[in-house]
Amino acid sequence: MSLLDHPDRLREHVAAFRAARPREDVRARFGASVMALLERRPDAVAVTADLMHATGLARLLPRFADRLINVGIAEQNMTGVAAGLAACGRLPVVCGYAAFTTLRAVEQAKVDCAYNDLKVILAGLGSGLTYGVGGPTHQTYEDVAIMRAIPNMVVVAPADPVELGHALDAAADLPGAAPVYLRLGRGPEHVVTPPGAPFEIGRAIRLAEGRDVCLVAHGAMVMEALLAADLLRAEGIAAEVLNLHTVKPIDRDAILTAAGHVRAMVVVEEHSVIGGLGSAVLEVLERGHAFPVVRIGIEDRYPPTGPTPELREALGLCGPHVARVARDLLR
Amino acid sequence: MTPPPDTPPDNGFAPLDLDGLREMARVNRLDVAAMFMAAGNGHFGSCYSCTEIVTALYFAVMRVDAARPDWPDRDRFVLAKGHAAPTLYSALIRRGFFPEGWIHEFETRVGARLATHPSRRSQPGVDSSQGALGHGLSNACGMALAGRLDGRDYRVFAVLGDGELHEGSVWEAAAFAPKHRLDNLVAVVDRNGLCVDGRADEVLPLEPLADRWAAFGWDVVEADGHDLAALLPLLDVPRFGGSGRPRVVIARTVKGRGVSFMEDVRGWHADAIAPAQYAALRRELREVLR
Repeated sequence: MSLLDHPDRLREHVAAFRAARPREDVRARFGASVMALLERRPDAVAVTADLMHATGLARLLPRFADRLINVGIAEQNMTGVAAGLAACGRLPVVCGYAAFTTLRAVEQAKVDCAYNDLKVILAGLGSGLTYGVGGPTHQTYEDVAIMRAIPNMVVVAPADPVELGHALDAAADLPGAAPVYLRLGRGPEHVVTPPGAPFEIGRAIRLAEGRDVCLVAHGAMVMEALLAADLLRAEGIAAEVLNLHTVKPIDRDAILTAAGHVRAMVVVEEHSVIGGLGSAVLEVLERGHAFPVVRIGIEDRYPPTGPTPELREALGLCGPHVARVARDLLR
Repeated sequence: MTPPPDTPPDNGFAPLDLDGLREMARVNRLDVAAMFMAAGNGHFGSCYSCTEIVTALYFAVMRVDAARPDWPDRDRFVLAKGHAAPTLYSALIRRGFFPEGWIHEFETRVGARLATHPSRRSQPGVDSSQGALGHGLSNACGMALAGRLDGRDYRVFAVLGDGELHEGSVWEAAAFAPKHRLDNLVAVVDRNGLCVDGRADEVLPLEPLADRWAAFGWDVVEADGHDLAALLPLLDVPRFGGSGRPRVVIARTVKGRGVSFMEDVRGWHADAIAPAQYAALRRELREVLR
């Protein structure tokens, strides 16, 4: 019997796979990364809306009290002030929850930052189901769809806390005058990125080679795609894994190259199936692809509340489900 | 105002005196009317209520340089009530930021340099693209804060509509500025009393407006917003003034000021203008100084 169909063996295998990739806390790494950025870039300023502690920024206070601007619970003003700072040559890093940064202050993201051609880094923690117990007010599965529809907005969803640090630095050093939305988690996540791995905004990272199916993911779902590839290997299926951390500008070449040699594609994202990474991939493939592309994401309804790992599993945002979907596609 | 030693010549511009300012306000209203005539309609009321405010800022108060629109030490201007853009356009034209010919392409074609709302993408001298209400004061706060962080002596001026004060985000910014002691920031409320649907205070009460700003910690002053002599000293706050409080000028104005049939008429918020009305408007504005 195959591993995928043997619950006990599967559970053991998955546990071992996860245990080999220790977890690190997103908030702690975010705070440390912002701190490092403020050390490196004297023009950088952190702006937050009463989330200094929740985003791991409190550690900045002793050293950078003048460059940590806490606007209080006022996200519109947070993004508007950040835009004003950027207009006068500063590099603001807006540190908030994804729900409020992208939805509450979406007009400020569009008009004040993107339309005004201002480099503002909009970091949204707690995206997807990473504030799972918070329920639909805090779960955020519309943000990629919304933010990538804004012209001149760059959208990046790093795979893990290590890549988060790389993405923040890359966003800070990105030439041009586009704001960057960094889609981030909240709690502990498995680390799949080796330290010092190359990272470039707009360039996907091929984490596994395979000619049967291509698994595309970003954020924490990269870990699940790697797990799925591992499970598929036991089935004799070779899966390519693409970490498509940048949703916009999307790496067309990486997608089209994969499309040239695989028989199916599965996109997995901790986001609504409407308008997110899966939609972005399909937009690239809209002409002439002749193989199935399946999107795994959050269906168009409010998910239940619950702890993040269990919630992901319940909604099929996990390696075994991705592997089963891929296997069924190739049958 | 004593300019710092590195102040550029600014094309030889010298601040206007009161007579010069009054004449410039008249020219501004005629420019605005020409733009709206070309477009077929426009926000006459909203433009004409802030004519003196914008004229005072650009021709007597603000330190800007038409030859260097990106000069880091320039005073900043944010037209939070972005629909009054033509008033700003006229000031920028007459100050030499962009050519007079642009008047004739206001809203007239795809890709026209001048549109309903100001855009820093295509308009030199525009510090902030505006148009959606309730954004400008936050942007101005960020600019003023950057000036403080960088030790620069520029000031930031934001002109807000009174109807715009219905937006909650304005009050987020209003709470922010005093907390950060942004005394390099001046907000001007163009208190013309009208919003699109009628009396601003009937749509949603704003009074006691001065008390509200004062309660938020602002240095509140009030003036007739069409009286240039009264406005000038209130707008011209000292650089590094040290008061520790941002200033708000509540400028009592009349929507459509300067054209008898437009004054305080709700419909002229954004209305079409007929050729006969345009002729009457020009006659009135030409007679102002005679």
